[in-house]
Amino acid sequence: MSLGIAGMGWITPLGGGLASVWERLLAGESAKAEAIHDSLGRTTYFAYRVPTSSLSDAPKHARLRRSSAISRFAVGAGLEALNNSGWKLDEISAKRLALIFAISNGGVIYTKRFYHDIVESGAHTASPLLFPETVFNAPASHLAAILEITGANYTLVGDGAVGILAFKMAEDLIEANTVDHCLVVGAEETDWLLCDAYRKWRLLRSEPPIEAFGTPARGMILSEGAGAILLSRKGSIQIDQVLSGRNFVRRKDAAAGLRKLFAEFNGDAGAELVIASANGTFIDVAEHTAIVECFPGALVYTPKPALGESVAAGSLWQVICAAKALSDQQLPPVLNAAEANGVRTNRRRLDNLKIRRALVSVCGLNQQFAGMKLSV
Amino acid sequence: MESRGAISEEKSDSALVNKGQSQVRVAVVSAGIVSPLGVGLEETLRALRAARDCISPITQFDITECRCKTAGQVPDEQLISATGNGRRMKRLHRASRMMICALDELMAQAPGFRPDLTVVGTTSGGMSFGEKYYRTLHGRHGERMAPAWIANYPPQKPALDAHEAFDFSTPCQVIANACASGTNAIGHAFECIRSGRYQHVLTGGYDALSELVFVGFDSLQAATPEKCRPFDQTRSGLVLGEGAALLALENLETAKMRGANILAEIIGYGISTDNHHLTQPHPSGSGPVQAMQRALESAGLPASAIDYINAHGTATPFNDAAEGNAIAQLFSKSVPVSSTKGMMGHSLGAAGAIEAIIAILALQDQLLPPNINFRRSDPSIDLNIVANEPRSARLQTVLSNSFGFGGANASVIIQSLAA
Repeated sequence: MSLGIAGMGWITPLGGGLASVWERLLAGESAKAEAIHDSLGRTTYFAYRVPTSSLSDAPKHARLRRSSAISRFAVGAGLEALNNSGWKLDEISAKRLALIFAISNGGVIYTKRFYHDIVESGAHTASPLLFPETVFNAPASHLAAILEITGANYTLVGDGAVGILAFKMAEDLIEANTVDHCLVVGAEETDWLLCDAYRKWRLLRSEPPIEAFGTPARGMILSEGAGAILLSRKGSIQIDQVLSGRNFVRRKDAAAGLRKLFAEFNGDAGAELVIASANGTFIDVAEHTAIVECFPGALVYTPKPALGESVAAGSLWQVICAAKALSDQQLPPVLNAAEANGVRTNRRRLDNLKIRRALVSVCGLNQQFAGMKLSV
Repeated sequence: MESRGAISEEKSDSALVNKGQSQVRVAVVSAGIVSPLGVGLEETLRALRAARDCISPITQFDITECRCKTAGQVPDEQLISATGNGRRMKRLHRASRMMICALDELMAQAPGFRPDLTVVGTTSGGMSFGEKYYRTLHGRHGERMAPAWIANYPPQKPALDAHEAFDFSTPCQVIANACASGTNAIGHAFECIRSGRYQHVLTGGYDALSELVFVGFDSLQAATPEKCRPFDQTRSGLVLGEGAALLALENLETAKMRGANILAEIIGYGISTDNHHLTQPHPSGSGPVQAMQRALESAGLPASAIDYINAHGTATPFNDAAEGNAIAQLFSKSVPVSSTKGMMGHSLGAAGAIEAIIAILALQDQLLPPNINFRRSDPSIDLNIVANEPRSARLQTVLSNSFGFGGANASVIIQSLAA
């Protein structure tokens, strides 16, 4: 396989901009959780939100006038990835570029507003302006319109693993010579309704922090934002392998699934660095078990204590962290990691890493897992 | 408008060059379908032959305040009789039951089929569970079921449930490209096998009716209070539908070697993005033209090779005008065109997969599926509509279109193996 990273961009609760967010992660900063209130008046939740200032450079495009936050996050990250690559998109190259979007919760804010109006006031009050923005591929459509992409444009839905499934689709398209480049984007927005749902699903913690690999697993805090990666046939960071994973039925089966997935990664040297999806839930237990067994000497980093759980965007953030660690040979500290947790989580920033291979492990909250191997 | 067929003439050379490339051929070795037309391939074919109108008054939720009062619906009794009603099954969403039912039929034809990859399309998965959850929150009662609704609400869940029911452990890509999802899924699955990277791919689409989506189309005034009349001069909108359809794709040579029953061959796929508007196609039909043209190039065929077009044909004024315009730009007037949505409604993410199976049934039965409720030709749409009754025809190669919100356009070309 010949697949490389040509450019990256992200919008996170720690702000936007590849260099800026990475520096803040290296400095051990964490996003500030905001209290958000259930508009039906019962509960307060905490979530990591994207600061408004992060979107100040957003283009003034008609498509963004009424769009939901998720679309603006996606556009911000997508444009940064293209700028970061130095690649100039023109009418001809746009035809050989596929946009592949990964989404889990989608445009929940407008979806809730639209349905709330139906429940509260009746179907006759439903807004024809809101409804189109509730469709899963609305953010991809807006980004395609802004970039004037007229060819392949796919939106994939799933849990956190959907980001890696999007990379697999990109690999398939590029390897089949259907396109030359793929812009893979993951995006999410957050809302109290999601917090309530994840709480009822016993995955949400009532307030920060997220404690990685803690026992017992106390739960995660939701966040929002986007990540974007431009893939090409060449790049200083190579994607050696994308394993689009499997599904597991029960949470207790996740560790066995990940063990099988890790065993499928080829190469005799294994992984020197694992960018994990540990977020304070059952995922930590599953990843811990699989990492200890398959890659006991590997450094382990998870960005989720610093940035929160942003599901589909989160898996893109993990890949960006892996690529930055390989290219810059630096690794941020794992915030709030449990003491003596049995895996090599660093509590301080690491420089001069001297690593050549990194593995991205993504275990989703709803039955899917997947992984990716990168090298420099 | 360009003169009829002008674009296809220009493109025929490059299309024929593409044909010369050595690529893996892709067979459909089995299929399963659940739709308002019935459960299973045989029942679906009977409904097509009878030009059966399967649209009925909505029973699943309150539509008092909606203009549109009807939809194509899969009766719960049919699903229960097909999938049983055990404790686990009761917890699953209707979309999951439809997927299990379709996969059951597919597996009965090809018991040894084990996919390397699953690629399916949907728009809303288990949306009605999300609605129930929100209503209980809003009404502040009955939250006991909320965890089960939340766990079974995600759009990918019906695909994973079908995997679980048949003990598949396969990577699963769920495409949500609005109403083009099903055709996009089949097209991508086709390309995965054609490139030689996969041997067996399970593909298709699913969607179940939900209040949110129903009211959404009603709010846009895209849904009609009348009959759904694709391509008719008096067409006034779509009616929604639901269902699931699955196809087992396999490398044609290996399928032949093992003596598999081959239903048809998929030979071309085209995808395009129309950036004109989030919900409306460009009136010129440029997006559909590109999708159909790319499908022809992918198949290495001139437009004249297409014997029948199963149109997207939603019966909205905008869609049918743009699609009619696009078809007229590429194809001769003699090619028969029909939309089967008048019979069963628009099942969104399932539509492309259901209509691909209808195209296969048309090839097998040498039948042009009917475009029912057709009364009067639209002078601005110059097509050979298969009006109201099915017709016999010699069919070798058919094209199926799906277009969706977000400017998503997709076309697949399917051929009988004897061609």
